[in-house]
Amino acid sequence: MTRALMRTAIAVSDAVRDARRAFGVQGRVVAALLALGALVPVFVRDTLVLDGLAATLYLALAASGLAFAVGLAGMPSLAQGAFVGIGAVCGAQLRVHGDLDPLLAGLGGAGAALLAGAVVGAGVFRLRPAFVAVCTWVVSWVFLLALLAFPDLAGGARGLVVPSGAALGVELTPAVHFELALGLIGLALLAFAALARGTLGAGFAALRQQPAAAGALGVPAPSLRLAAFALSAAIGGLAGGLDVQLAGIADPGDYDAFLSFTLLVAVLLGGARTASGAVVGTFVFAAILWLADRLGALGGLATGRLDTLVAAVLLLYVVAVGGEDVVDSSRRWVIDRLRSGPARLERPGFSTPPQGGPRRGPGPTLLSARGLTKRFGEVVGLEDLSLDLAAGTVTALIGPNGSGKTTALRLLSGTLAPDSGTLLLHGKPLPHGGTRTHALAGVVRTLQPTAVFGSSTALENVLVGAGLRRRDGGVLRTLVSTPRARAGARAAAGSARDVLERFGLGWAAERRAAELPASDQRLLMIAAAAAASPRVLLVDEPSAGATHEDVRRLVSILGKLRDEGLALLVVEHNLRLVRDIADRVIVLEAGRVLAAGGPAEVAANPEVRAAYLGRRHDLVRESR
Amino acid sequence: MSLAFQVLVTGSAAGAVYGLVAIGHSLIYRLTGIVHFAFGDLVGLGVFATLLVAAGTEPVSQTSLGGGRFAAALVAGLVVCVVAGAGSYLYAVEPYVERRSTIGWVAATLAVAFAIKAAIGLVFVRSSYVFPDPLPFRRLGEDGFLSLGEAQIPIRAFFVLAVALALAAAASTTLDRTRFGRGLQAIAADADGARVVGVPATRLVAAAFGLAGGIAALAAVAAAPSGPFDVDTGVLLGLKGLVAALLVRFGSLWQAFGAGIGLGVAEAAIAGLPVFGVELGAEYREVLPLALVLCFVAMRPPRGALEEQE
Repeated sequence: MTRALMRTAIAVSDAVRDARRAFGVQGRVVAALLALGALVPVFVRDTLVLDGLAATLYLALAASGLAFAVGLAGMPSLAQGAFVGIGAVCGAQLRVHGDLDPLLAGLGGAGAALLAGAVVGAGVFRLRPAFVAVCTWVVSWVFLLALLAFPDLAGGARGLVVPSGAALGVELTPAVHFELALGLIGLALLAFAALARGTLGAGFAALRQQPAAAGALGVPAPSLRLAAFALSAAIGGLAGGLDVQLAGIADPGDYDAFLSFTLLVAVLLGGARTASGAVVGTFVFAAILWLADRLGALGGLATGRLDTLVAAVLLLYVVAVGGEDVVDSSRRWVIDRLRSGPARLERPGFSTPPQGGPRRGPGPTLLSARGLTKRFGEVVGLEDLSLDLAAGTVTALIGPNGSGKTTALRLLSGTLAPDSGTLLLHGKPLPHGGTRTHALAGVVRTLQPTAVFGSSTALENVLVGAGLRRRDGGVLRTLVSTPRARAGARAAAGSARDVLERFGLGWAAERRAAELPASDQRLLMIAAAAAASPRVLLVDEPSAGATHEDVRRLVSILGKLRDEGLALLVVEHNLRLVRDIADRVIVLEAGRVLAAGGPAEVAANPEVRAAYLGRRHDLVRESR
Repeated sequence: MSLAFQVLVTGSAAGAVYGLVAIGHSLIYRLTGIVHFAFGDLVGLGVFATLLVAAGTEPVSQTSLGGGRFAAALVAGLVVCVVAGAGSYLYAVEPYVERRSTIGWVAATLAVAFAIKAAIGLVFVRSSYVFPDPLPFRRLGEDGFLSLGEAQIPIRAFFVLAVALALAAAASTTLDRTRFGRGLQAIAADADGARVVGVPATRLVAAAFGLAGGIAALAAVAAAPSGPFDVDTGVLLGLKGLVAALLVRFGSLWQAFGAGIGLGVAEAAIAGLPVFGVELGAEYREVLPLALVLCFVAMRPPRGALEEQE
């Protein structure tokens, strides 16, 4: 018993130490601001003012929830108002008809919104951001029209009156609501910060920037998006469910599309990449609306007449000036200035990485394809491709454009399901299950080199791959920050740094990938894939647009990976690179294998020469 | 039976307006790959601008209007709608499409939507308005209604349907037969290619945004005297037109028009007829079709809606 307690105490103190270490300058500032904010009810005694502030805090809570969907998962949801409304209506109903105490009713509202968010999220997670916006927009209208059409839900146009009450023996005054909302905002910010860093954060960032490339590295898009969206809805519902206890009435008109719009304005105003931005945005927005109301009153307008107009103009200004994240881009600016001190690292000159010992002979066959065939309608994408990729060998796949090289890669990496044919890994069938299944089984593919995650740092790029095999890095574990999750995070970060060093990119760890030279971006792509510890690496045109020098670097890196025992398949146009590194060459034309064998053998094949150089003789004959 | 006919006629009349809005949404999507969140509000703006010139902001009776002033009002409404539509493209859509910023155009068109709504609300402060009817439908039939057994069919509905059909036909002819229309088709097929061969894409698309809104606004004006309307009427038109366009996955002009009519008939049927033996009632009229289309979209998303796989 005492030992268990001791162990718990040690684990908790570890967690606290880790958390303190993870707190940057920004974290400290936010924490200090929240602590200062908690003192407000001590000095502000006016209940009406406190009531207004608490309501704004709940709005900020809902906005910080929306940041999970927009900022983390890149899903521009226009249904957050509806989720707030679902929380509010359920919170009100539970209070009125279920006779629950206000806190439990609020939690019930959050649960209902979580459920609704999971359902909506399941409907939209596959869609492009534009269609997420469209569908969630319709959802928010369906919700409002339902509230108006079924008066039993929320009292119709007159609203549903909610009695005030006590929870845990404490009368829920506006001051109590204020502290509660502030505390919940703190929790939401912590949760956001936990999800936005480490392998999960790198995965989310990858998913926002290049969904296809993220998928190739095995980032589980559906579960990440669904989790972020449902969490976002739940936080919105919690805000709604508690706010309705404060307001004392659930009024359907409050949960219309304008609320969703307002919340989106707040998130964009504050910069979608952080949840604290959403809180700041909410308050800036509220202040501007308050000011507009004052000005409107001077001109003889009733309260609330100018709200919509001001919000709309403000949003137009925000998107026109700053793109999507005004605050975030200025924060980056500051960080970049701070970083450009004397400690700034310069890119070292390139030196050939040390060879990993003498080359071993080919190992056992890892991945085999037998009779892979894929048609797109009438068009043959690939017909009857069979190949064996052995450990410690490099196979090159070449052929003219449209000959089926990319189709072959997509079949091998699990992006496409073959019409017929099988894949064997270690001699056992590898059923089609998508890129993540293949990646977990050890078959990882890189996309063409433009697919780095440009606004992530080099380290974060590699972390995406390093996160693949983490069993303890899911959303829930990360949120609760279990000891194993923290150990796993440390291990992943360590291995990501190792990989960067091995690729000669250690100097670039904290640089944004888009700022790196093209040749380094090329290596970074491969590094990210290598960090996923594959056994079989499928590399798509690594040398596209590369200089002579770059090709030399590539050859040396690929050779190193081969010597580590990986089976490599390289799709390439650069025959020089092929000659330098390939043990075996497969030539495709019009979806069929034209020739296969050693580089010299294939190069001497007359059919291959004809395919590459053109059948001049035929042409001459035809033209006669 | 006659009740079914009534549902069909009134539903088609309402749906024809949705259909024209759906045509607009579909055209806009095919031209630019965006969804215009302010489209319905632009249509509403056209209707309110017409009302402003025709009768001012004071309450009017349905009959108090001369033909000349109404014609002027119609022109004014159309001009406002076309200019605002083209402007919304140039200032709220094009810059963000150029930057490939999805959240940019989503936010900007939403902002335009709410700005239009707020601007209308500043001028028209009452909760709802009656639109004057310059045409004497009231003198036809029994006080403007055709009695068929137990059914009462408003004669206006036939007029609205005819106007909408004529507008859709005009739009279709414009797309197929004119240089402007062929230019638009080229842009829809391949925007970059069209630019390269010298199609003035920006100007044409801006004009298309304006005209799509104008045509839908004309239909909305034709339908407006049929019932009271308020600042949200335009938004709802836009929403239902969007849903109709989603239903046919932003398909061809006549598909979109047909989907609009289908949506209108579905709404009328849900409100007035037993559907598969269940009498649902008017409260399901708006919610149910929208929810069903949402489920459909989630299961079978339109072309280009899915995230592309490498």
